[in-house]
Amino acid sequence: MLNRINRRSFIRRGAKVLAFVAGGVALASLLRQFFPRSTGQKRRVNLGRLNDYPVDTFTFVEDQKVYLYRDHEGVRAVSAVCTHLGCILESNDEGFLCPCHGSCYSLTGKVLSGPAPGDLNWFRIGGSPDGRLYIDMNSMVTPDFKFLIT
Amino acid sequence: MTSQKTGTDKVVREGNSYRMERIKRISQSFFLHIHSTRVHISSLRPTYTFGLGIILGFLFLILILTGVVLMMYYTPSVERAYDSVKDIVYIVPGGRYIRNIHRWASHGMVLIVFLHLARVFYTGSYMHSRKLNWIIGVCMLVITLFLSFSGYLLPWDQLAYWAVTIGSNIAASARELTDLLGITNYIDIGGFMKKLLIGEETVGQPALSRFFTLHVIFLPLSLLVLIAVHFWRIRKDGGLSCADFREGVNRESDEEKNKIYTWPVVMWAELAILFVISAVLLLTAFIVDAPLLEKANPAFPENPAKSPWYFLGIQELVSYSAFSGGLLIPLLYLGFLISIPYIDKQDHYQGRWFAGKTGMRTALYSLVMSLVVVIGQLFVMVRYGWLRDWFPGISQGVVMLVNPATLSVIGFVLWAGWIRRKTNSTRMASIALFTASLVAIVIFTAMGIWFRGPNWDFFWSRSQWPVI
Ligand code: HEM
Ligand code: FES
Repeated sequence: MLNRINRRSFIRRGAKVLAFVAGGVALASLLRQFFPRSTGQKRRVNLGRLNDYPVDTFTFVEDQKVYLYRDHEGVRAVSAVCTHLGCILESNDEGFLCPCHGSCYSLTGKVLSGPAPGDLNWFRIGGSPDGRLYIDMNSMVTPDFKFLIT
Repeated sequence: MTSQKTGTDKVVREGNSYRMERIKRISQSFFLHIHSTRVHISSLRPTYTFGLGIILGFLFLILILTGVVLMMYYTPSVERAYDSVKDIVYIVPGGRYIRNIHRWASHGMVLIVFLHLARVFYTGSYMHSRKLNWIIGVCMLVITLFLSFSGYLLPWDQLAYWAVTIGSNIAASARELTDLLGITNYIDIGGFMKKLLIGEETVGQPALSRFFTLHVIFLPLSLLVLIAVHFWRIRKDGGLSCADFREGVNRESDEEKNKIYTWPVVMWAELAILFVISAVLLLTAFIVDAPLLEKANPAFPENPAKSPWYFLGIQELVSYSAFSGGLLIPLLYLGFLISIPYIDKQDHYQGRWFAGKTGMRTALYSLVMSLVVVIGQLFVMVRYGWLRDWFPGISQGVVMLVNPATLSVIGFVLWAGWIRRKTNSTRMASIALFTASLVAIVIFTAMGIWFRGPNWDFFWSRSQWPVI
């Protein structure tokens, strides 16, 4: 083999390799465009004042797609997005119901019936120094986590 | 040329120059050349093809023409899309009519692509060199479905938004499997497919831009190329399949006897088909308006959120499990379709509807079997609930793998295996499996269309739906 490499075959092989590499890089960078980096979504979002939310009910927060629950001790937030195929859940006395394929969740977000593959996420609620609430969509907590009102 | 004016004189009519003329019409025209100069009479029997392939071609043409007109007024932006469709319906003169034609032609295409597939299957026209055309056909089936799926997002109404939200999450539901295997953190196939489809985590402008590009450029162009190859293959395969050439028949002389000139007879027939489907479409579009719901509202899904009728079978299946109903079973079905010409090579059945008496009986038994198996399970599910209602807390893996859809698949495969053993024929086995799955598709689709209401609960009729 070795002695068969001369200048001609070397250049020919080199050109082939180069063409493959260049083609590969071009294709990869083209395909890369189909996967944009997440466009700077704010994950920690202001939710306004505590008193905007009625006591002892789940209030739907449209932009974040969560239900906020306020009681006399504090505030909790649960995802309003069905873990099955992403429909928005309806809240009722027993828990949450999905209009799309009928998955039911308990008040703590556990799947009770239907095709949903997982329980609902709960998010961390905190207070800003100016007294407003914020929600941290990156920080998952347990259902009994509560932002305590002091 | 003199011969052309004398249609009555038989001697002249059979004359050489007239024959040459008819041949030249076809062979010297680029477009007419999709036909051979002469065709076998058995290909022209209306009850053999029902003209379904030609109808598909014409529908595609009509869709392109009307689609280009719609594009003049449609704007693919989240802010403008809905209003621009409203403009088309309420302001542009004739706009509503064009939109209706486009919509109903697309529904027709989905329906007829399945009928065409069934006719090609039941006449056993996928043997030997036609294998390639069968596989191209399966690709065209997929593209046709994706064309209508991508078209549905464009009006940006409630149906559009929620159908595509659900659709993109079906792509993401591969996570159900990777979660089960505990490898989602390393290879997230579901997330990858979802991002490829809609560019973000939720349906928004990137999704609309992508679907617009798919719908107006990528998919139609792919379909056009495939249709060209499809037609070219038909010629290469020597025209349509037919049963007349079996052992003992002298191929050559038979072929000579039974071929007629394409020009002008076949052309007239095809023109007639074009006129009839145009008339049907024009009339339908005049009477029935294509729906346009309220503007997309990401906070409130419709209840029930139903996709167009031809996806309601899949929607019924995903209501058992997103992964198995939305990905696994459709992929298995496509795999089955593609593998048919590899499983069954009994070419002596080629060109005969249902492969004769035995095949017809096999198809009939399979139909009954499928009806019983599928409706039986649906009955149990509606009446007594399913696994999660009996054993709360049951693992997702079981929910995913044990439901009416997956059990039916297993049942059908066993059934086809049994037929294979009993008849010792792969043709009968594939007729059994094909028929059983076709019937199941029809039942699940009917279930989704007529028997599901708010919260995807079962109702005998729409009049029983609760008021919400
Ligand atoms: C999507 C658009 C499609 C178009 C426009 C189309 C068009 C046609 C036409 C015009 C014919 C001639 C005979 C006839 O009318 O049956 C034909 C035959 C055929 N088609 Fe299609 N078709 C399409 C989809 C499919 C699909 C989904 C399959 C199956 C998977 C398929 C498989 C075949 C085969 C194997 C033949 C040859 C049949 C024979 O030789 O008898 N086609 N097609
Ligand atoms: S999206 Fe909630 S059950 Fe399907």
